[in-house]
Amino acid sequence: MVDDSGRWAEPGLLILASLAGGAKHGYAITTDIAEHVGVTLGPGTLYAALGRLEKIGVIEGLPVDRRRRPYRLTAAGAAELSAQASRMQRLAVLSLGRLRTAPA
Amino acid sequence: MNDDGRLIRALVTCYPAGWRRRYGDEYAQLLRDLDIHRRPGLIVDSLLGAVRAHGGVLMTRNHPMNVAIWATGLFTVAGIGFAKLAEDVSGFADGTYALLGSAAAVALLALVVAAAPTAVALIRDGHRRAWRYLAVPFMGAAVWYGVLRLALAISDGHRVHSAPNVAGFVLIAVTGTAVVAATAWAACEILRRVPTAPPARLRRVALITIPAAMAVATVSAVVWGLQVRSADPAGFSGDHGLLATSFVISWIGVVAALAAATVLASLASRRRTPALQ
Repeated sequence: MVDDSGRWAEPGLLILASLAGGAKHGYAITTDIAEHVGVTLGPGTLYAALGRLEKIGVIEGLPVDRRRRPYRLTAAGAAELSAQASRMQRLAVLSLGRLRTAPA
Repeated sequence: MNDDGRLIRALVTCYPAGWRRRYGDEYAQLLRDLDIHRRPGLIVDSLLGAVRAHGGVLMTRNHPMNVAIWATGLFTVAGIGFAKLAEDVSGFADGTYALLGSAAAVALLALVVAAAPTAVALIRDGHRRAWRYLAVPFMGAAVWYGVLRLALAISDGHRVHSAPNVAGFVLIAVTGTAVVAATAWAACEILRRVPTAPPARLRRVALITIPAAMAVATVSAVVWGLQVRSADPAGFSGDHGLLATSFVISWIGVVAALAAATVLASLASRRRTPALQ
């Protein structure tokens, strides 16, 4: 889930970002990510990531509702997402700034 | 149960039992919500997820070398299936066939290199209890040859889809697969019983080479099938597959098995090898 330099694999990060908007079950996560990011997470990819995220405690499953189990971000997950998003924001600002000042 | 229900049930069944107990019901509901039967890409993703889940179970219980050995066993069975499928196809796609064979040889050689320190320790230090496992592949090959003769005797003179011929084929295939599995098990037992401090870098390079070569072989098998389709459309859509069944289904099955072995081997290559086996 997290590589040697502390970066997150994309599916995990997409799921955390989706759950930051509130608890969701698998299908709702998939449609939310597809709608906002344009990435379709396949069911195998989604559940592989959900399992890993749950195992390391950044998300947690809620009671099943009509055969669908919603998941929500834990406090640790919110902190991790915030750290990763800040890091990506700094990288984006740096990259865009340098691209603007770079000679054509 | 309708066809959709059967497909969903089959896809969920592909996952390990522990995983199904935890996620099975909600995953089945997700597949229903996604209308999975209309989306072949998502079916493939689900199957790959199942392979990863099985790989995850293997990785938590086993040393990376064991996983590489089992991946190579699966790759060997798939490779024999490919050779059987390709034996009636000649005159085109020969270059791709040769590339696949070369890649398979590199993968097997890399496994030998990764296991070499253990073999050296086995010879140098004795380990009498480990030696007996070396007999497994030889005994297995002898048993398989006996079964082969028996199957040929059973099926001799019968039509391809007759019960004796199908029974003979199943006997050969099941025994062959069992021999490969027994050999993999014996190799894992030797690794477990012969402690070595292998050159970590050498083993790591070998464990990376195995899935890379398997990936080349898998892509070659895909390209080979497409070349057969271009050169001989009638043969491609005919019944020249394994046991005179659909060529396309046999080809897809072989490619899926090669891909599964590649994924499994890549899981092994990602894990750090412990300093001492």
